[in-house]
Amino acid sequence: MASTVASLSTPATFAAADVLPRKVVGRVWFPVARRSGGFAVSSSGPTTPPEISDKVSESIKKAEETCADEKGTGECAAAWDEVEELSAAASHARDKLKENNDPLENYCKENPETDECRTYDN
Amino acid sequence: MAICSAHTTTSLHSPCTTVSNTGFRQKQVIFFTSNRRSGRRHGGARTFQVSCSVEKPVVIGLAADSGCGKSTFMRRLTSVFGGAAEPPKGGNPDSNTLISDTTTVICLDDYHSLDRTGRKEKGVTALDPRANNFDLMYEQVKAIKEGQTIEKPIYNHVTGLLDPPEVITPPKIFVIEGLHPMFDERVRDLLDFSIYLDISDDVKFAWKIQRDMAERGHSLESIKASIEARKPDFDAYIDPQKQYADAVIEVLPTQLIPDDNEGKVLRVKLIMKEGVKRFNPVYLFDEGSSITWVPCGRKLTCSYPGIKFAYGPDSYFGHEVSVLEMDGQFDRLDELIYVESHLSNLSTKFYGEVTQQMLKHADFPGSNNGTGLFQTIVGLKIRDLYEQIVAERAGAPAEAAKV
Repeated sequence: MASTVASLSTPATFAAADVLPRKVVGRVWFPVARRSGGFAVSSSGPTTPPEISDKVSESIKKAEETCADEKGTGECAAAWDEVEELSAAASHARDKLKENNDPLENYCKENPETDECRTYDN
Repeated sequence: MAICSAHTTTSLHSPCTTVSNTGFRQKQVIFFTSNRRSGRRHGGARTFQVSCSVEKPVVIGLAADSGCGKSTFMRRLTSVFGGAAEPPKGGNPDSNTLISDTTTVICLDDYHSLDRTGRKEKGVTALDPRANNFDLMYEQVKAIKEGQTIEKPIYNHVTGLLDPPEVITPPKIFVIEGLHPMFDERVRDLLDFSIYLDISDDVKFAWKIQRDMAERGHSLESIKASIEARKPDFDAYIDPQKQYADAVIEVLPTQLIPDDNEGKVLRVKLIMKEGVKRFNPVYLFDEGSSITWVPCGRKLTCSYPGIKFAYGPDSYFGHEVSVLEMDGQFDRLDELIYVESHLSNLSTKFYGEVTQQMLKHADFPGSNNGTGLFQTIVGLKIRDLYEQIVAERAGAPAEAAKV
C-alpha cells in the first residue's frame, strides 16, 4: 500500500502514459485526490539542488547557535527568518526541477501545435 | 496586443504601432488626440511618457506568507485569464516576476531595502517594515497604474542580494504579491482589489512540515522554532492587513474529523466584504440568509469525511461580510459539479467553468478542497471586476467623443 506521503509525480506520469492523445480531462484527478489529499509532497521526487540544500542546513545551524545565546532577540528572529526564506527557495527549486523533468512537457510547451502535443478539451 | 509605451522620447511621433482593426484602437485614437490622458509633461518635454494604449492596468494585491509569484494561487489566477504565467524570458533567472499574456505578477520582496546581510546586521526580519522600501513600492505601483514602464529591482532569494533591476511594462492585470501589499496606506489606495490568505497556525505548521521534512538539516524542532521566531513580527505587521482586504481566504483545520492533526482535510472560509465596488459576493441559495448545507445524501454519495458547506452574513473587524465556508474534500468530479450548480453569483461565463478550471490544474495542491475552489472563484471575481472596469472605461471616452 502506498505510503501516505505519496509521490505526486507517479500518478501523473502514469495517467499521461496511459492516454493517447493527451486528454486533459480526468488526467490526474482521482489518484491524486485519493492519495495525497491535496498536498503536493513528493518523497521520491527530485531533491533540492545541493547549493541551496547546503545553504539551508548552514542557516539552520547558525540560527540554532544564535538563539542558544539569546532567545527572543531581533538577531534570533532574523536568523530563523533566513531559514524560512531559504527553505522556501529550496522548495521552489524542487518544484522547478519537477516541472522540468518531463521532456515531453518541455517540448510541448514550445511546440503545442505538433501532433504529439495536441490536447483535446472537449 | 499592441502596446505603445514610448518612454524617454522627445518626439510626439513615437512609435505607436497599432495592429488590428478593433474597436479598441478607436479608443486609443481618442485618447491620443484628446490628449486628456497622455503622460505627464516636464519642462522642456525631455522625459515625456506617452502610453497610447489603454494599458492602465487593474491592480490586485495579494497578501501571502512565504512564496512569491510561484504560488498555486497565482497560477490559478493567471489560468482563469488564460495562458500560463512564466518568468520573463531572457532576464535574470532568479527573477520573481511572472508574466502571461494578460497578467504580470510581481513579488513585493523585490522592494526590500535591506538584503539578507543587512537584515542580519540590524537584527530585523523580512516581515519588518524597516526592511522594505515603501516609498519606491508606492512610486512604481502608481507608475504602472498610470500606464508607464518601470525598472523594478530584483531580490534574489537564493543569494539574498538585490540584483540589477528588470523592466516591467504595464499589463492588463497587475498583481502585487507578498507580505505587505496593504501595509502602506498609499499603496492600499491604488489597489482595485485585495486578497489576504490567512492560514491558521496548525495548518501552517502541518504544511511547513510537509515542505521541509525532506530537507536535510531540518527537524521538527527547527521547523517549530522557525515559525515561533517569526510569529511576533508576523502578528504585528502582516496579520493586521487582513482587515483591509476585500476577500480573505481563511484556512483552518477540519471540524469533520475529531482530533485530526494531519491537516489533510481542511475547512476553508471565503470572507467577502460587502459593499465593495464591482464585487458581488458568492452566495448559497439565498443571499443574506444563514445556510448550512451538506450536499451528500440521496442525490450525491460522498466518501468519508464528506463535505459540509455554510454560508451567512457576519461581521469582520467592524465590516459587514458574507462568509462562504467549505469543510471536507472533493473525491469525484460529480461532487464538484454538483456543488458548483448550487452556488450563485460565481461570475462564470458558462455552466461548469469552476469545475473546468479545477480540473485543468488537478495536480495543484488544494485541488480537492476549499482552497482550490475559493482561489478559483476569487480568480473569476477578479476577471469580472476587470471586465467591468474595461467596460466603464470604454463607456467614458465614447461619451466624451459624442460631446
